[in-house]
Amino acid sequence: MRNDLLEILENIKPGVDYENLNTLIDEHYLDSLSILSLVAELEDEFDIVIPTVEIIPANFNSVDNMLKLIEKLQEED
Amino acid sequence: MQYFELTFLILFLPLVMLIYQLVGKKKRPFILLIASYIFIYTLSGKLLVYLLLATLCIHHFGIWLDANKKEEKEQIKDLDKEEKKQIKLKYLKQRKGILFLGILILMIMITLTKYMAFIGVNINHLLALFKINLKFKLSNLVAPIGISFYTFSAISYLVDVYRGKIKADNNLFKLALFLAFFPQIMEGPISRYEDTAENLYEGKKITYHNMCFGIQRICYGLLKKLVIADRLNTPVKLIFNGYDKYGGVILLLGAILYTIQLYMDFSGIIDIVIGTGEIFGIKLPENFRQPFFSKNISEFWSRWHITLGTWFKDYIFYPISLSKMSRKITNSLRKKIGNHFGPLVAGTIALGTVWLCNGLWHGAAYHYVFFGFYHFALILMANIFNPAINNFYEICHINPEQFFIKAIRIIKTTIFVIFGELFFRAQSLKIGLVMFKKIFTEFNISSLNWKTLNALKLFNYELIIIGITLLIVFIISIIKEKGINIREKIAKKPIYIRWMIYYALVLYVIIFGAYGGLYIPVEPMYADF
Repeated sequence: MRNDLLEILENIKPGVDYENLNTLIDEHYLDSLSILSLVAELEDEFDIVIPTVEIIPANFNSVDNMLKLIEKLQEED
Repeated sequence: MQYFELTFLILFLPLVMLIYQLVGKKKRPFILLIASYIFIYTLSGKLLVYLLLATLCIHHFGIWLDANKKEEKEQIKDLDKEEKKQIKLKYLKQRKGILFLGILILMIMITLTKYMAFIGVNINHLLALFKINLKFKLSNLVAPIGISFYTFSAISYLVDVYRGKIKADNNLFKLALFLAFFPQIMEGPISRYEDTAENLYEGKKITYHNMCFGIQRICYGLLKKLVIADRLNTPVKLIFNGYDKYGGVILLLGAILYTIQLYMDFSGIIDIVIGTGEIFGIKLPENFRQPFFSKNISEFWSRWHITLGTWFKDYIFYPISLSKMSRKITNSLRKKIGNHFGPLVAGTIALGTVWLCNGLWHGAAYHYVFFGFYHFALILMANIFNPAINNFYEICHINPEQFFIKAIRIIKTTIFVIFGELFFRAQSLKIGLVMFKKIFTEFNISSLNWKTLNALKLFNYELIIIGITLLIVFIISIIKEKGINIREKIAKKPIYIRWMIYYALVLYVIIFGAYGGLYIPVEPMYADF
């Protein structure tokens, strides 16, 4: 799952150190448009629906947090 | 009574602190609530009733939403999947209706007090356009202070209950305090229930540490407000009121001074607000993060009036750009034109709505709407051209984070902001456009001389005081930008150094603050919004 997510992120915005950064939103590595793409990609890839309430910086600041969100939404489904 | 006035600083606040500290933990939130209502009453009188109505509204509708959810849970017990889906849909529809009604009541109150006259003018324009001989005379009711701030907090509470992010609160007093807390009622920051309500209701004891930190922050806010913003008020007023007398250079100077004034005034007041919260052990959200170090306009808006920006993002931008229709558009476009331009259509519709609302939130006038669309256009252009700019950097082997390039990007952003503020401050859109045009057509550098500066009340000593104080704020901003917590650093210094810094700060404000008949304090700019 991690590798799939990294591949998606690399496609949306290449050249960012996704493995180590935990300020992807706070430091503007991912902007609002990237988030729109990312949400669409994640929903397709992992068969989840990401509600608007979950679109908060804390959930997208790092790969680990994104994985936690995906797992949570998969469990809820 | 305003936050920077002596009545607040040496009478109201210490009195509230004293009573708060003397009573028991459980009674403390009530002291804050009573103090808040007294504070608001001194500003708005009977218009306090709007706030009481907004409080009752979110209390009732929050409970209604929660009750509906509970009823749904009961109903779907022991049903099969398909039946559950049907029932859930039915209840979701009901909750949408409840939420809509709650927001409608809040919006009616704000519309009656802020937007009726503007709506009337626009209806008349439309009627004239279709040559219908009919005129409406609509006028605004008197607006209670801070209505835009607490209405947004109230809406966020209802939407968060609807989304299931928070549970509705049965405690009417807690909700009342969340909306009315006196330090933030006039100019924000716009709080979220989940971040501040519990903290407000805890009734923490005032500690020596919290009091020192709070007072420091208040003093720093006073420094920005009284030494810089208020000193700049007279020249800014003279330039903007007499725009027809001045050439381009002075008008540009006016726009620059106004931008500095607005930042120093608004962020200074927010420092006082956050500092006051700190005294009571209440952590209010930050509203500024060194905005003038931004490399582009999007970044600027994530550092300036942060709580308003995140409010728009959470309650307008994402709900629109991630709605069913938008998702469809984004998905089909992404496959055709890629990941960058795919979400651009949905993103642009949402962004346009956000900036229209942002403009109107600041005031019911065309120059505010223009101000919103000006920033919308700048962000949209950046969204469109960003890939090309990044390619350019790559081809030319330019590192956009390199010091010199970063400095150019920061200066470019600041120039865009200054022109935006010119329209924001201008008395009307028409005047704003005249001033903007003059900057480029009547730019005569020789008009900037001591005689003109003196006529604008910018005397030598004024400029020196403003310059030195700006330098202090600039150095503190650089330290903060580097991630250094300057206040913690000072707190670790030996006691004599610490108190020397505190005394110096207080004396600086007392000696160099703009008081007396020569100065006109800045009206609380954001309180009108």
